[in-house]
Amino acid sequence: MEFVSSFISLLVGYYALKGYKEFSIKGLFFLYLGFIILGIGTFLRVFSATYFVILLRALEPALHLRSLINLAGLIYTLTQLIAYSLFTATYFLQAKALGEHSLELGIVSAVLFPIYGLFFNPSLELIAIVMLGFITVHSFNNWALKRSSGSALVFLGFGFMFLSHLLFLFMIMEPVFLFFGQVTQLAGFLCLLAMLARVSRVHA
Amino acid sequence: MPREHKEYRSKARIYVDILASIMKHGGKSRPTRVLYGANLSHDRLMKHLGQLIELGLVEEEKEDDAMIYKLTDKGRAFLIEFIKMEKFAEAFGITI
Repeated sequence: MEFVSSFISLLVGYYALKGYKEFSIKGLFFLYLGFIILGIGTFLRVFSATYFVILLRALEPALHLRSLINLAGLIYTLTQLIAYSLFTATYFLQAKALGEHSLELGIVSAVLFPIYGLFFNPSLELIAIVMLGFITVHSFNNWALKRSSGSALVFLGFGFMFLSHLLFLFMIMEPVFLFFGQVTQLAGFLCLLAMLARVSRVHA
Repeated sequence: MPREHKEYRSKARIYVDILASIMKHGGKSRPTRVLYGANLSHDRLMKHLGQLIELGLVEEEKEDDAMIYKLTDKGRAFLIEFIKMEKFAEAFGITI
């Protein structure tokens, strides 16, 4: 799921870069940087989690390995925060100018939680929630103003990402929230992919 | 694409307004029509048309002793790409 999310994030970043370079649209610069950083960060998390699983199977988890994974988790969270800050800056600057699968879910989260739990930092998660809340409100305002399908999909995309971080926060109480959070996050990125598909359908 | 009130237009935006105006008239147009469509003075329009010809986005032809400006395939592709990018930017609330 996160691999798909990172791919979509890189795709949106590439599209924003194209707009910035070819048409000198300055507002797209922060968006490009944000999505590229988010894509790389998410990909690194997928890569390090897979690496950790492989190592766990091969040998006993050593203390230095655990701290290495903690470091990877911290880097991931920081890349996320940098990306959200850049999205916040985009909207800030713009505003200035203008049940049934519970068992399966339980198994999945039981497998995932010990690994992803290492990447979790509640205080940084709260900062991400605040920033995404701001971004979601602004994308909602943009949708209310434009009423276009593209702006609706962007609002839904950021809305789902905001929801996913809320769910990640509840992971402390119930590990299954990690899975729900992952699904919601993917739904957010899929909305952004649908927006990309829509804007690419312009013909002469 | 031309706007009703005066505001800063980027170079890319002016190019697109000129190209869109030519496109609106079936892909070829006289300068007077483009002038109104793109909301530019004659001097500025001629300057930008010269740049568009250099870029290969527009070509000029003589028809009935008058100069007409035609949209090239490259110009058409540029216009479509800009419209896509405009929709993309607008989805995020970014105005061009």
